[in-house]
Amino acid sequence: MSHSPPKWADRFLEWFCHPDLLEDLQGDLYELYEEKAASGHPRQARLFFVWWVLRSLRWDVIKKTRLQNFGTMTRNNFKIAARVLWRDKFNTLLNIAGLAIGLTCFLLMGSYFRQEMTYDQFHSKKDQIYRVWLKEDYGGDKVFFNSITPLKFESVLEEDFPEVDKSIQIALNPYLVGQTPNRINESVGIISPDLFEVFDFPVTQGNATTPLPDQNSLILSESYAEKYFGSSNPIGQSLLIQMGEEEREFTVTAVFKNLPKTSSIQFDMAISNANNQRLYSERALNAWFNVSVETYILLKDQTNIESAEAKVQDVVMSYLGDEVQRGEYQIGFQPLTDIHLNPDIPAGLAPVGNPSYVYILGLIGLIVLITAGVNYATLSIGQSLRRRKEVGIRKVMGAMKSSLVGQYLAESWLVTFIALLISLGLAYSILPIFNSLTQADIELTFQPWQLLFYLGLVLIVGFLAGIYPALILSGLKISNILSGHKAPKRAFYIRKSMVVFQFVITVFLITSTLIMRKQLNYLNSKDLGYEYETTVSVPLYPDPSSQRLTEFINSAMENGKLLREQLKKYPEVSDIGMGTHVFGSNGWGQLSYTDDEQTFRQFRFLAVDPHYFNTFEIKMKEGRAFEPDSPLDERESIIINQAAANYFGLEDPIGKKLPGSGFGQHRIIGVTDNFNYASLHTAVEPLIITQNIMPIYEGISDHGYQDSPIPKLVFRYKGQQLSKVNDILEPEWAQIFPAEELNFAFVEENIQAQYENEQRMNRLVSFATILSIIVASLGLLGMTVLMINSRVREIGIRKVMGASEVSIFKLLAGSFAPQLLIGIALSIPLTYWLMKGWLDNFAYRISMGVDLFLLSGIISVIIALAVISFRVLKAARVNPVESIKSE
Amino acid sequence: MERSHIGELEELVLLSVGSLLDEAYAVSILKVIKEHTKRSLDVTAIHSVLRRLEKKGLVTSKMGGATATRGGRRKKFFSLTQEGRRVLDDIMEVRTALYNKLPKITLIIPNI
Repeated sequence: MSHSPPKWADRFLEWFCHPDLLEDLQGDLYELYEEKAASGHPRQARLFFVWWVLRSLRWDVIKKTRLQNFGTMTRNNFKIAARVLWRDKFNTLLNIAGLAIGLTCFLLMGSYFRQEMTYDQFHSKKDQIYRVWLKEDYGGDKVFFNSITPLKFESVLEEDFPEVDKSIQIALNPYLVGQTPNRINESVGIISPDLFEVFDFPVTQGNATTPLPDQNSLILSESYAEKYFGSSNPIGQSLLIQMGEEEREFTVTAVFKNLPKTSSIQFDMAISNANNQRLYSERALNAWFNVSVETYILLKDQTNIESAEAKVQDVVMSYLGDEVQRGEYQIGFQPLTDIHLNPDIPAGLAPVGNPSYVYILGLIGLIVLITAGVNYATLSIGQSLRRRKEVGIRKVMGAMKSSLVGQYLAESWLVTFIALLISLGLAYSILPIFNSLTQADIELTFQPWQLLFYLGLVLIVGFLAGIYPALILSGLKISNILSGHKAPKRAFYIRKSMVVFQFVITVFLITSTLIMRKQLNYLNSKDLGYEYETTVSVPLYPDPSSQRLTEFINSAMENGKLLREQLKKYPEVSDIGMGTHVFGSNGWGQLSYTDDEQTFRQFRFLAVDPHYFNTFEIKMKEGRAFEPDSPLDERESIIINQAAANYFGLEDPIGKKLPGSGFGQHRIIGVTDNFNYASLHTAVEPLIITQNIMPIYEGISDHGYQDSPIPKLVFRYKGQQLSKVNDILEPEWAQIFPAEELNFAFVEENIQAQYENEQRMNRLVSFATILSIIVASLGLLGMTVLMINSRVREIGIRKVMGASEVSIFKLLAGSFAPQLLIGIALSIPLTYWLMKGWLDNFAYRISMGVDLFLLSGIISVIIALAVISFRVLKAARVNPVESIKSE
Repeated sequence: MERSHIGELEELVLLSVGSLLDEAYAVSILKVIKEHTKRSLDVTAIHSVLRRLEKKGLVTSKMGGATATRGGRRKKFFSLTQEGRRVLDDIMEVRTALYNKLPKITLIIPNI
């Protein structure tokens, strides 16, 4: 034969095939192979041969003894493994506990990671759905980038882009819903009726094909259907919604399944955007420079987003050729699945997660698992020294290396399997605590594929943790073992470096937790430049007939004045003020204009009443605050912050004007300190404060509000019980706003909520740190026990020679010192690098002082000492007679 | 039929064994079937069918002499047993009987 069939396939055939059947089967395969090879396709022939061999692998062909051997050996391996583990209960317990904790951490962190990574992945058409963004870029700072788009986009995208199959509009507007006096302020979705054809949100009751047939139809989520209608059938029922002056009646036409947690699109109640004609003015409906809704598009099959992107500028120029230069008005498309974790594109209706937090947490989960695996490996190698004789005997009896490896892997698989069972139980049972501690909101759901995942997890973790000890043990030379030689040096060093690795991770986690804690404490305790303790903020309501922003603000302020008069009679309530924004909410009004020198200017804007400064005790740097009952102040005085004074280049700002000719009559009367009105993620931006918004509004070209500018009433509450606030507000509120729902919040809580993401990250990392400390302690404990066991006689002899208990303790405890110190040293650069990245998220941050590194070093040393002492003290105290006579 | 049921492929293989007389071994059976039915089969399928037929006692086998080709491996030759022959006869009988009951007017069979 010039070409022979693949050797391995042939050998495999010989291995599994029953000998009675082998000869002619093999002969036939050879014959066919030769025939194929002779016809000029040797490569093909080889492939066919392999295929035939695999196809021959049938039940009645297989040599049964092979299976039996395999089965018996495996069973035997596991039986011996179980016995070995049972014999050495202490070590087994340590191993299982360590792995179980590592796996628990991995499962919980992994679930969090998976949840964050699978946002919006459940839509069957997810790869063809994009969210539209708008970026107006006029050069320099004059860039407006939004994921909220003009109303017009829905029709423009559908009509001018042949690639677009459907475009979907989503807006969330706050409306009062229900019958007076039990109206609830709800966020109502205003959506394109064909939304359900694009997104996979199942409709459970009512009309599934056209859930929103007309202007008066309303759809509810299952939980909202229950909230409003209890157990009765919601379909066909009616619900009142206050829209502007009008109270409109809507009929429930469908109920949809509660939107999944992992959906960026969230609403519980929605009406059709056929209502837009009534909700928006003609001008807003056709505006290109006024954003109010999210727009999603579904691409047609066989089209790609690039061809749509290529057309954007032509389409834009056909509409806006007179108003903008080519390229200034950019429309872009962001894949649906990209929305949740892409911080480069501004958030739309849903907040955007921080991908680096998610990766770091996922990584920490994995690292704690690795630590636990390393733990197991280190301990097994340590224990293996005691099992050298066993290996020697097995080898003498003719055990092959592979069967020894199999034996030891069986042990680690068994341990991992038991650990996984425990960790699953643990993960499920501590999930509620985990969720409430971390607000991670994880759901652990059981799905059949997870069985496979868990099996794979056991195999992989067991293999990785067990393979190294297995190789070391099985690789021992018989002569060395039986003649009593020491273990190879290499294994010794690898073991030491594994211990160092554990220390690095643990110390790193401890230091990170401490640094995060310190930063969060700093955020919560930093002097923000105003007082906010026990300050209450109550959103007011404007007159329903208000049309323009100025009317909204003024009428709400008028209502607020009535409420203020009522509240004055309570001694617990003092310093009542009003303002369009309150501390603790980001996205205060941002106004912009082009000044006399053609420089584009942007600043934040706050409209207040004269008492606002008192409520928050805002300090003036220069000039004065507003005087109550001064018509002049009310009409034209403005106050700026120090950042604004610098920004506008005003040397001595009192009495001056803002640089811009468009503004109405105004005069700067004071400059405040740079108080932190936004979260400490950002530096203080220029801020202009007025009582009358008109003079400023006359001079600006753009405005944007992420925080609602509807005024809030604020006051300081001096009572003892915070729960009494409601009792005070409720009756007074009902008199002035009989039809509206009372909502109030403590400013302090809102301020703290700004750091919710960081708090959660901190809690998750703390959780991992604690688990990691436990894992490392278990490992250290195991190592200590091993060390003591191997030095029992040495200790005894030393004591006989007069060594004190203290010196024995020093000797034993000191043997871990170098590893611990190296671990601490190596963790410093790792911690520094990662934590610097985290701290860079804040404009105001602590410096990573030496103190925290030192502290975590001390903590680790103390923990290590405590763990070691647990056994070492006992060993040092043992009567030498006991230890020397043993063996 | 009281006797062992056999499937369509089994019937084909059984027929081939009979028709090949002394030359019936897996590869030749494979070729005969390929030639007559244009069906492309896998030799391992033939092996499996032959083993089943042998178990049912419809064929017997004996090893042939040493060969120069095919890696020196001997062939396993199969021949029909009496029982096998009877099964084939029964099948043919049933089929012919049923076939004869078909209406005599030939239908126009559309091109397949």
